[in-house]
Amino acid sequence: MSLLELQGVDAFYGESHILRDVTLGVEEGEVCSLLGRNGAGKTTTLRSISGARPPEVRDGRIVFKEEDITAMSPEDISARGLSLVPEERRVFPNLTVAENLHLAEVSENRSNTVGRSLGQVQVEHVGMTTEEVYDEFERLRERKSQKAGTLSGGEQQMLAIARALKQNTDLLLLDEPYEGLAPQIIADVEDAIRRISDSGTTILLVEQNAIAAMDIADRCYVIDQGSIVFEGTAEKLRADDETRDRYLGV
Amino acid sequence: MSDEPTETPDATDETGSVVERTQRELPSWERIRESELFVVAATTLAVAIFPWLFARAPVVSGVLQGYQDLATLILIWGIFAMGFNLLLGYTGLLSFGHAAFWGGAAYAAGVFSAQVSSSPILIILAGTSFAALSAWILGFISLRRGGIYFAILTLAFGQMAFYMALSPLAWITGGENGFTGVELGKLFGVFQLRYPVPGLDWLVGTWKYVLVGGVAVLCVAAANRILHSPYGMVFRAIRENDQRAEFVGLNVWRYKLMAFIISGTFAGVAGSLFTIYSAYVPLSSFYWTTSGEVVIMAVLGGVGSLFGPILGAAIYLYVENIVSGVQQLTLPFTGPNEYVTLVQEPVVLMDGFGAYWHLILGLVFVAVVVLFPRGIWGLLMDFGSAVRKLGGGR
Repeated sequence: MSLLELQGVDAFYGESHILRDVTLGVEEGEVCSLLGRNGAGKTTTLRSISGARPPEVRDGRIVFKEEDITAMSPEDISARGLSLVPEERRVFPNLTVAENLHLAEVSENRSNTVGRSLGQVQVEHVGMTTEEVYDEFERLRERKSQKAGTLSGGEQQMLAIARALKQNTDLLLLDEPYEGLAPQIIADVEDAIRRISDSGTTILLVEQNAIAAMDIADRCYVIDQGSIVFEGTAEKLRADDETRDRYLGV
Repeated sequence: MSDEPTETPDATDETGSVVERTQRELPSWERIRESELFVVAATTLAVAIFPWLFARAPVVSGVLQGYQDLATLILIWGIFAMGFNLLLGYTGLLSFGHAAFWGGAAYAAGVFSAQVSSSPILIILAGTSFAALSAWILGFISLRRGGIYFAILTLAFGQMAFYMALSPLAWITGGENGFTGVELGKLFGVFQLRYPVPGLDWLVGTWKYVLVGGVAVLCVAAANRILHSPYGMVFRAIRENDQRAEFVGLNVWRYKLMAFIISGTFAGVAGSLFTIYSAYVPLSSFYWTTSGEVVIMAVLGGVGSLFGPILGAAIYLYVENIVSGVQQLTLPFTGPNEYVTLVQEPVVLMDGFGAYWHLILGLVFVAVVVLFPRGIWGLLMDFGSAVRKLGGGR
């Protein structure tokens, strides 16, 4: 069974039907990417997975580590090892870099206590320590007592990813991590994502920038008007001119 | 600046590089200023000299025209406003019902003093516990809704408390007359609260002030500790974006409830002290204007800083009690009662000036909100750092 599975998910914003029968799976250890144009339903998919409301999931199941998480709250889902790095303004700008990272620890402590008291959550994967995170992202160490809002876009993205890594993350959901970043910075963020993936964390990457995403992904899904229209390896998508042209415009 | 702690998150980071170690060995002014010891020591000192400066010091007290009881009252409201600010300034929740905790504690303290024990310490504990419990219940219900709905719900609960005290519970609360049967015993069974402190009465005045001042210092220390703990950090994260905080895996609702209870508890401490201060509980302590006043104090002084709201309380009460008593506004250095008199005949700028104190306060409030969103405390801090920069320091 896949680490994460969406089984025939139908999601709504009020009365508008956004996701139609979306079925996809993310295998342990891979970098999976969900591509599509603006408004295709990418972010709605991520929000459905991470427990944010709206959208309202009316049909289908979302299964993470063989547990149905469809109706869970974001913090319960997060406690199970699934971290979302949302698009734009991903950090707490008025907290320092170190505080942003420390938040992850507070929440992890909480999930541990909850796990112990309720016997529900089994926290197995322990996140990186602050030192390990700083080793991975040297620039964050240099800026650790700076307010996060003063970092550049790329650095903020790194910080958001770093925070997710400090938690017991098994699956990292990245929503448009390249958005608004300069090409050189994109390469840096790509590097970071590769290293995270090499260290064993599974990644679901949602991107409009299909070229950059295909570079890094093992497998790709393409979504259009709320339905999955392509599933396959990055090579297969690269070879499939029609799909790329029709749904991604590249 | 108490809203920018730099030390807490380093708790897990033991290895710090050489540069950082040096920084720790040679603490900068900023670091000293934020250390707990400094905050508590400075507060103690300020609380100790405040009544002297305000009511008895030469020249200064003559200009300020303060008096001992007002100094006590300022500290009490200061505790209230500081606790309120933990909710408004640090967690970003606007409550319009904090009168419920202030008044609830005041009544509970009063009834406790009459029925159970007249020990001031026990009275404070009783009133505070009552407020904490009420905050837990009201917060549990009100926090189901966010934003304006939360504010309205708290307002409704506050007014509910007011009407309960007015009539259905009048047999306990004394209804419209307020609660008059407050019994005050000796502090620790030794010190009569209204007696002056032997040898130190020129400085702090009465034992009552010592009690209120001591509690105020404890409250500042507690608030400072909370703000520098992970709780404080989470509160600020919630204020910035509660949805994002949820994605980080924080149980936002529970932290909000915690902030609400903590803030209600501070209101309870203040309310209990108010009962001890006035030996009487007016019905107005439950009225919505009490909730409104504390909002104004916090915003006036500066939300998002530890001491701003205390300063706000001082300014508010000063205008309410001193400025409102000024009959004639005269030019400085004119008239017979000045230290330096240039003209014997006072130059009257305005008659019946004091009657306009609400207007004055309103204008000051508007000016602060529009021009200095960080409040008067923020303004003073900016001024302070500008002066230090001029002096070449940092």
